[in-house]
Amino acid sequence: MDSLPTLPIPISFISGRYLLFSIDAVTYLRREHNICGVLIGTLPQIPQQNVFLGLPLELMPEEARVLVDRGVACIVDEAKAHDGMKSLLEEDRRQYLRELESQGLHATRILSDRKGQQRDQALKKLDEKAKAKAKAKAKATKAADDNASASSSAQQDEPASVVDLFADDGSNPASSSKPLTSSTPDAQLAMGITPATSYPPLPHPSSSSQLLSKPEVPLSYPLFAHLHSRGYFLSPGLRFGCQYVAYPGDPLRFHSHFLVVSAEWDQNIDLMDIVNGGRLGTGVKKGFLLGGPEKSREEVNSEAERVESVRAFSIEWAGM
Amino acid sequence: MSTKRFEQPCPESSALSKLIESASASGNPFSATTLQILHNLQHQHLWTSLQIHDISAPSDATDTTPKFPIATSPDDTAPTLISGIPPHRVYTHPDEQLYMLEQGLREDDLKPERFFVIPTAQGQQWSLRRMAAVFDAMSEVQPVETPMVEKDNGKAKQLAKYYERREKAHETKEWGGKRVLLAMVDKGMGGEGTVVYYVVQEGEVKPRQN
Repeated sequence: MDSLPTLPIPISFISGRYLLFSIDAVTYLRREHNICGVLIGTLPQIPQQNVFLGLPLELMPEEARVLVDRGVACIVDEAKAHDGMKSLLEEDRRQYLRELESQGLHATRILSDRKGQQRDQALKKLDEKAKAKAKAKAKATKAADDNASASSSAQQDEPASVVDLFADDGSNPASSSKPLTSSTPDAQLAMGITPATSYPPLPHPSSSSQLLSKPEVPLSYPLFAHLHSRGYFLSPGLRFGCQYVAYPGDPLRFHSHFLVVSAEWDQNIDLMDIVNGGRLGTGVKKGFLLGGPEKSREEVNSEAERVESVRAFSIEWAGM
Repeated sequence: MSTKRFEQPCPESSALSKLIESASASGNPFSATTLQILHNLQHQHLWTSLQIHDISAPSDATDTTPKFPIATSPDDTAPTLISGIPPHRVYTHPDEQLYMLEQGLREDDLKPERFFVIPTAQGQQWSLRRMAAVFDAMSEVQPVETPMVEKDNGKAKQLAKYYERREKAHETKEWGGKRVLLAMVDKGMGGEGTVVYYVVQEGEVKPRQN
C-alpha cells in the first residue's frame, strides 16, 4: 500500500491532456497531495461501459500545475519519450520480455494459491455444516426414541451411516486438492501482463529534452491553487454547473462544501448568477464560493503572486 | 335616462412610492433601491432600528483611488449599506449551532444583533472589487446603537459562556468571518418588487446543513 513512486512523478502530456498511467503515482498523489483527477480508462471492447473507469487518470491543467509547482511532478512529452523505443537493444528487449513472463508466473501462482485457499475454506464449511446437520438429526431421532420407547435398531443405524458418508465425502476432495495447490504452473500457464507504464523498458527519470514547461492554466487557477493550499480536494464542476467542486477531505469520505466559480477582480458579474449559484448551492446543501485574485495577469510576473492575492466569498440563500 | 359617469380617480400611489417620492423631494441622496429594500426589511421582515450608511467616502484622505471605479453608469446605486436588527437570527454557523446545542441554548435566548445589508437591483453590474470594497468598508461603519433590554430567562451562565466562546471564535474566524446580506430587488420589466436575500461571508465558510 505504501508504495512510494520515485519523484518527480512523470505526467504524460498526450494531445493536450495530462495523464497518469501508474497506479502507484495515482494513489500517492491522492493520499499525500489531495489530487484526485478523473479516471478515464475504459475497456476497448466495451467503451460504452463508463460507470467504473480505470487508468489512465486525467488531470486538469490546474492539478498538473500545482504538482509541478510543488516539485512532485514533471511534464513529459510522451511522443518524444517513446522515440527511445526504436533504439532499444535486442538484449534489453529480451530481458524485458523475460521479466514480464516472470511477473505473469508470479501472478498465476498467487491466483492459484488463493483459489486453493478458497476451496479449502468452502469445503471446511460444507463439512462443518454436514456434521452439524447430522448431529441435529441424531439428537432429534434420539429424542423421538426417548418419547416412543418402541423403536427399531435399524432407525438408529441410519443417522450414523449418514455421518460417515458425509465425513468421507468431506475428506476426499480436501486431500485431492492438495496436489493442485502445490503444483507449480509452467510457463504456458503464465498470465499475460499488460503493463500500464512503459518504464521499464524506457529509463524512468526522463531526460531533460523530453520535459515540457509548466502547464498553461486558465484564469481560474489562482482560486484553484488557493483552495488546494487550504486542504480542499477539487474536482471538475460540470455536474453542478460550476468551475470546481470543493471537498473538505477525500471525496469518498466527505460531501462537498462548495460550488466554486472564479472571476477576475474587475470582471462584471451578473447578480442573477449569484442568485443562481446561491440557490443551486443551497438546494444541494453546499455553499456557493465566488472568488478570484485581486491582481490581474498584467500586474504580476508569476501566477504565484496572483494566488497570494485571492479573496473568496461564500454565498448561501438567507431563507427570507 | 340619465347616464352616470364616474370620474375614475387616479389610484393612490403605494406606500413605497410615497416613501421614495418624499425622500427624493427632501434631497435625500439615497437611491430608490436602497429605500425600497429598507422598506421591505421594515415591513415584510419586521427589522427594527434600521439605518442607512454611506460608504462611498474614502476612509483615508491619502487614498485617492476610488473604491467603486465601476459605479459610473447612471442606474447604479450609490454605495450604501443598510443595517438593522432582525427579529430572528438570520445566520448561525453550523459549529456555533452545535455549541449552542451543547450549552442548551436556543437562538431566541441570544440578544438580537445588528446585521448589514447590501442593497442591489437586478441587472446591476457587480464585481469582486465591489464586493471586497463593501466588506472592507463595513468595519469602518459605526451604527448608532440603542441600548436593549436584556431578558432574564435563567440562562445567564450559559449565555456568558457562549459569548466568551464566541469572542474566541471571532478571533480565529472558526465560526466564519464578516458576513452581510446581499439584497436584490427585482426591478426589471414586469419586476414585481420581490426582494431576495443571500448571506455573503468572507472566506471559505462551510455551508449550513439546512
